[in-house]
Amino acid sequence: MPTIVVASPKGGAGKSTAATILGTELAHAGAAVTMLDCDPNKSLSLWAERAPLPPRIRVLSDVGEGELVRTIKRHDLDGEIVIVDLEGIASRLVSRAISQADLVITPMRATTLDATVGVRALQLIQEEEEALDRRIPHAVVFTMTRAIRSRQHSGIETSLRDQGVDLIEPSLMERTAFSALFEFGGNLRSMSAQGNMDAAIANAEGFARAVYARLATEDAS
Amino acid sequence: MSDKPFSIDLGRLRSREKDRSSAAVERADRVGEELGFIDREPAKKRGRKPSPRTGQVHAKVLPPVADEIANEARRRGVQQGVIIEEAWDLYKNQIK
Repeated sequence: MPTIVVASPKGGAGKSTAATILGTELAHAGAAVTMLDCDPNKSLSLWAERAPLPPRIRVLSDVGEGELVRTIKRHDLDGEIVIVDLEGIASRLVSRAISQADLVITPMRATTLDATVGVRALQLIQEEEEALDRRIPHAVVFTMTRAIRSRQHSGIETSLRDQGVDLIEPSLMERTAFSALFEFGGNLRSMSAQGNMDAAIANAEGFARAVYARLATEDAS
Repeated sequence: MSDKPFSIDLGRLRSREKDRSSAAVERADRVGEELGFIDREPAKKRGRKPSPRTGQVHAKVLPPVADEIANEARRRGVQQGVIIEEAWDLYKNQIK
């Protein structure tokens, strides 16, 4: 099954939130999901400790550079999706994780700083594709977006599209329920109401569907 | 959101071959380093680890001296720290 790597050298871009939303939604839709917490801040592990893990989800903590490739290999099996959450830093762990990815997702807030730093991940992917002589599918998802799109957001989106970057739609909006995942654990369906839950679930599911569509397309090709 | 419930067809997702050889990992490392994606793992701490019993860091002494202290403590049925405390007393008395 595919390995999805959530990578951006920019901290605070929404990597752990995107990874958690994706993992819980894919598991809810029937996949067995193994989540590797490679971030020393241990956001995924903290989420996992808050409440019993939702069905079909497993979280492995403290996966470091030395054991990353081996750990992915052990879990990259038919019937299992692996999601790797990385620290927001330009590290060797990031380049190793990307080398093992079937899809790299780069979360990015719609700010010039996030876009400038996030693009470094895209450059790394392109270089690794050449070095490893294989295509590494990748896409950007905007995070913490608002209903009314700023001019800056539109500008960054246009610029990325012009460069041929695959943008995942829908973006992940700024929602109380998403940040509350790390307070209450579990998934959006098990959590007590935090803001507009229906809209949060629809947003999360739409994002997971869009990721699944990319994985299924890659597999068919 | 689609009206159809989101359900994953596991048959459509398969594990794909990837080069996991050390040579491939090295190539990825090299490319990453050129773009500033370098080793940032915290360096392993040198020296002795704290005692699991007391949390104290063991005194660094030459191995033969450590063996002698350990043997004497074992012979007398006391903790090694007792020997070191006695030695400290002797030292203090000597410099007075």
